Amino acid sequence: MTYSSFFYSEILAIFRRKQDAVNALVFFLLVITLFPLGVSPSKEFLQPAAGGIIWCAVALAVLMSVEGMFKEDYNDGSLEQLVVSGLYLPVLVLLKLAVHWFAIMLPLLVLTPILSQMLFINWEILWVLILTLILGSPALFLIGTIGAALTVSLRRGAVLMLLIILPFYLPVIIFSTGAIAAAQVGQPYNGQLAILGAISLMTLTLSPIMAAVSIKASVN
Amino acid sequence: MNWIWFHKLGSPKWFFQWANKWSKFAFVIGLVMLVVGIAWGLGFAPADYQQGNSFRIIYIHVPSAILAQSCYLGLGVAGLVSLVWRMKMAPVFIKAVAPLGAVMAVIALISGAIWGKPTWGAWWVWDARLTSVLILFLLYMGVIAIQNSLDDMQLADKAVAVISVVGLINLPIIKYSVEWWNTLHQPATFTITAKPAMPMEMWLPLLLSTLGMYGFIAAIAMWRMQTEVLVREHRSNWVKKEILDNGI
Amino acid sequence: MAFESINEFISMGTHGPYVWSVYGISLILLLGSYFASVKAKKNQIKRLKQRYLREQKS
Repeated sequence: MTYSSFFYSEILAIFRRKQDAVNALVFFLLVITLFPLGVSPSKEFLQPAAGGIIWCAVALAVLMSVEGMFKEDYNDGSLEQLVVSGLYLPVLVLLKLAVHWFAIMLPLLVLTPILSQMLFINWEILWVLILTLILGSPALFLIGTIGAALTVSLRRGAVLMLLIILPFYLPVIIFSTGAIAAAQVGQPYNGQLAILGAISLMTLTLSPIMAAVSIKASVN
Repeated sequence: MNWIWFHKLGSPKWFFQWANKWSKFAFVIGLVMLVVGIAWGLGFAPADYQQGNSFRIIYIHVPSAILAQSCYLGLGVAGLVSLVWRMKMAPVFIKAVAPLGAVMAVIALISGAIWGKPTWGAWWVWDARLTSVLILFLLYMGVIAIQNSLDDMQLADKAVAVISVVGLINLPIIKYSVEWWNTLHQPATFTITAKPAMPMEMWLPLLLSTLGMYGFIAAIAMWRMQTEVLVREHRSNWVKKEILDNGI
Repeated sequence: MAFESINEFISMGTHGPYVWSVYGISLILLLGSYFASVKAKKNQIKRLKQRYLREQKS
């Protein structure tokens, strides 16, 4: 096995299991629908809250999809193969994550303009929202992987994973909704975007290593 | 600097005997300081000119909040030690201290909420301090949850170490983000400890009760770690000897 | 002493209920963690002792 063969097989696997990506999208839509139904469908509520609603929904959808990332591989033993393959495990984790990121985030980004109309977001603000999604979502995936790797050996790991990972999502959610809120009142939002990028870069260096440690512990 | 004590701490046997000697000492000193500090603060420190007597809650609120943060710092460092040097005592420390940190966070939260009622007129205000203690509490609950749900001990040790390290790195970011978020949303209110300098009569009992809380929690942590050592090392000869010779 | 009388100390101006409930709850939680930890250690020692004695007999 080489890095590229692993990469191709991951892409193939994602295409074979389209339903996972579809599930994440439907979940995302459902969470967003809860807010107009549960709180208020008025423009006065939805317009200022839209950024927060979309980001909370994205965070939950990402967690849901990342949770199952190693499950299949763990059950059929291929995760063990990866550990003993002689390839550097953090890189494999990163490749796998990149494939997942594209599979989940691309449809989600396509869906966002439609949703933003339903939540009364202006076109100028939509641009900021998409920027925060692109800059911030890698951090969500990267942090989530650690939790997925830790709970992979558990039959019911999903709730546990939500419990341990969600607090770490707070900075990402705070700064992305902060950028959107700043843009809505016409203030500069570059600082928040820069911090989002910095968080993503930092988790990029840290979390593949941590995930690899957890995978090794889970497999043994 | 001499690092022998550090290597010795990694040995369960050495730690057990060391804790036998020092835990009672820490407990007595800590308890005396805690009681004196709180009694001083409750009865003798002057009332705050703005908040009146409700500020006396500070003598339990601040020590427990500081301890909650220190315990998490300890978890993170222990997690790092456990991942890098695989020291036997590090996971024991994490397992013993996480529930204590959670209790400290709960005390800080409850005292903060009750303090908020006469000060802000509401039980809960999304103040930066309260919010970050709440998140700290959630982080503790995560560590405890993963410790309890993984049956395989080695995996559980590794998992809590990973989560503690990730938490340690994320804690400054979370704290900073919450503070930033707070300045964005907070309507103008004065914070609990807004005064620039506390007079000495208020500050000294606070220092005493904080140090006392450190001693108290350190002693309890040592006992909990000893218990965990006994569980993990029950097959070794020194535990057998220790128990048969000096047991109850 | 910051207070003139015991009554004043207990009422803490008007803030008595707040201050004393905080200290009461904290006391319960601290004592709870203390006793739980001490008891856990004692139980573990007792359990191990019984086990070792049983092993010695057999």
